[in-house]
Amino acid sequence: MSIDDVTAARIGDDWLRAAVAPAGAFGRRYDETAPAYGPGDEGRASEEIAECVALAQQLAPAALDRLRGALRAVPEPTPIVVRARAGDVLGDVDFYELARFAGTLDELARLWNDAGGTHERTPTRVERLRSLLAPGRDGDGFYLADAFGSGLRAARAELLRAENDLELQRRSIAERVRETLGVVPPGDEFVVMRDLHPDPLPPELRLVRETPAYRVVTFELQTDARDGGFARVAAAEEAARRELSSRIAAEHDDVIAATRALGALDHVLARAAFVQRWGGCVPEFASAIAFEDGILAPLAEQLAARGRRYTPLTLELPGVAVLTGPNMGGKSAALATTGFLCACAALGIPPPARAARLPLLERIVWLGGDDSARQTRLLSSYADEVVRARDVLATASARCLILVDEFARTTGPREGRALLIALLEALRSRGAFALAATHFDGVAEAAKVTHLRIAGLSVATFAALDARDLDAALDAINAAMDYRIVAAEAPDSASDALALAELLGFDRTVVARARALYERPADEPPARG
Amino acid sequence: MVVVGTAKNTGKTTAFNALCAVAGRRGIAIAVTSLGRDGEPADALDGEAKPRVRFAAGTLVALPAGLVPRTPALAILESGGPTALGAVVFARAMLPVTCEIGGPPTARAMRSVVRRLTALTDGPVLVDGAIDRIAPLAGGDDAIVLAAGAASGATVSAVAATAAETVARLQLPGRDPSRERARVVAIDGALDAGSAQDLIAHAAGATVVVNDPTRVTVRGALLAALRDAVDLRCERPLRIVACTTSPLGRGVALSAELLVKAVAQATGLPAFDVVSDLAATPMPNGATP
Repeated sequence: MSIDDVTAARIGDDWLRAAVAPAGAFGRRYDETAPAYGPGDEGRASEEIAECVALAQQLAPAALDRLRGALRAVPEPTPIVVRARAGDVLGDVDFYELARFAGTLDELARLWNDAGGTHERTPTRVERLRSLLAPGRDGDGFYLADAFGSGLRAARAELLRAENDLELQRRSIAERVRETLGVVPPGDEFVVMRDLHPDPLPPELRLVRETPAYRVVTFELQTDARDGGFARVAAAEEAARRELSSRIAAEHDDVIAATRALGALDHVLARAAFVQRWGGCVPEFASAIAFEDGILAPLAEQLAARGRRYTPLTLELPGVAVLTGPNMGGKSAALATTGFLCACAALGIPPPARAARLPLLERIVWLGGDDSARQTRLLSSYADEVVRARDVLATASARCLILVDEFARTTGPREGRALLIALLEALRSRGAFALAATHFDGVAEAAKVTHLRIAGLSVATFAALDARDLDAALDAINAAMDYRIVAAEAPDSASDALALAELLGFDRTVVARARALYERPADEPPARG
Repeated sequence: MVVVGTAKNTGKTTAFNALCAVAGRRGIAIAVTSLGRDGEPADALDGEAKPRVRFAAGTLVALPAGLVPRTPALAILESGGPTALGAVVFARAMLPVTCEIGGPPTARAMRSVVRRLTALTDGPVLVDGAIDRIAPLAGGDDAIVLAAGAASGATVSAVAATAAETVARLQLPGRDPSRERARVVAIDGALDAGSAQDLIAHAAGATVVVNDPTRVTVRGALLAALRDAVDLRCERPLRIVACTTSPLGRGVALSAELLVKAVAQATGLPAFDVVSDLAATPMPNGATP
């Protein structure tokens, strides 16, 4: 499904993708490779959405949080197994990370079972990998234990003996130094003062550096046994690592498959968490757009942050429709909600609604409305709208949803209205879905499309209001506004503009004069004086 | 315990190794890490041979994954935050081992590493430090050992003077509300020469508070004048407990005995030459034993 940047911002597609972002790296990788559903994918989309809804119901929120937390903490094994398969000899930190990966999968599986998760989605375990590394596990850590190589134990024991012998040599030399020079060496390297000890140095000491006042010396240790032992340990450890790396290379495919399964689980759990937060339904896929109590979640979140209530919307859009109603009545929000729910379906996300019938679309386009990004461009608002409309018309089809927000409002009203009517006629003829919010009168009737309207201000409630500050006015409008979408019974598109202006504190005498002008018959000449 | 040097090649790693060796001889299990990168065979800048860092079996070490030695293998206990050389790895030496050590790049991460090492061991945590990176350790009860050596001066008195100035700067007293002057000036960030001059001119007699001693970048006579003019203090003091001395520098060879005595006297702290096995403590009358 194609959504351009302007549309993505207007319908909350960006917000949506962030809201269902997986917790861990595997899930994010899975998301990057999972395309949106389009026409023909209804079966798969329905299956995924149904699973998300089922998981949201099945898993307790706390258990879901724990699972997502565990997914976030799974270490990344991919580069390690890729290197092993390429023939690299892995290091001990690599083995540790792989062991941690295997252990985390076990922990995830345990959490999944505790949460009552379905058998089909039980996180994959990497039993063979875990078994390979088990001899090195000590608690949560890893050590290249003797069991990993036949010669390891003997080589290490030999090295330890050599180190101990070296220590005995040190002590012996230190004792001789004390006896012959009267100096207690603080370490292998120390200073012999010339004035106190002018004689030749004992043979066990090697000169490192000298000055007129003193000589810096070090123990002349016989390190052959230790060096040989070290070399044998190095060879045995590398042999053990090579053997273990080779076995791990054979687990490459299983490990990669496990990370993909983790990615898929993370993907679906992110959507289940979304459903637990916002609700969601399994839509019926159809050639119609209809939903009950649909929620534009990003707007609902914004309103909740300001202590305001969001009113879910119910809408039936058989093909092309015009939406009229008062300013601040939620026309643009209704457009965005329609696009948001369709985008949810295309992404395999349960649309937050009580019920929905939706198509899988090829394209959603937002046309018109304010767009600050456009203001930096050379085209005027009107020209920009026309160019976008031109492109929309060129590709509009039955699998497109065009959300038209006060198209042509910045040009002359007669010509703008005519252009909007013609645009809707053209979209209707192409079978596209379109919802057009406008203040122009009689557009739906002229274009022969459905006319919907926002129910609008409740006059009885409104009459009692006398808001004196903006916040109070917004609260009053919110309380007085009936945001429901209903079938329009008259061709006019009453906007309650004068009432709202008064409520927002506009000069009452000016509003009264405007009302007088508005209510005057069209053929009456203007009053003089 | 953190070992820092007054300059490069002043015997910091030698002192660090001596502390590790003493712990080993006494059977004390220790944990070690570095505020920079230490234990490499040669200095990355001048190619000079450097002392290697060697740990006894049982030593706990925090180091970047890229510095974990192949042989003898360490027991990897856990991994932490990132460094330029891979994640910080907490590991235990199973056999005596010589290796490079390093630490995380940020103060916050270093605090976290030291906390983790402290939790993982019963013994002390030793940090091979860097004087410009000890800020994260300020305000705690960590002990700091200052390594002073011939690399920081051509004469005994020059080395001792540098050590004394460094100690004076790092031993800035902590804030004490009961002794604060009527006017208190808090310095947010570094106290440099410009702000020192401003304070001398406009805040004489006031208590001036910096976050920690490393924020004082002013040196020499100007620092002395500032301390005469104001009551200079810090929110998070450092605790310097001793000095070590190294009489050998590039082309310089000083008297080990005179140097250790001079540093002790100049800094007012016990001083040790861990190579010559010399020690000196400051005497009230100016003499040293």
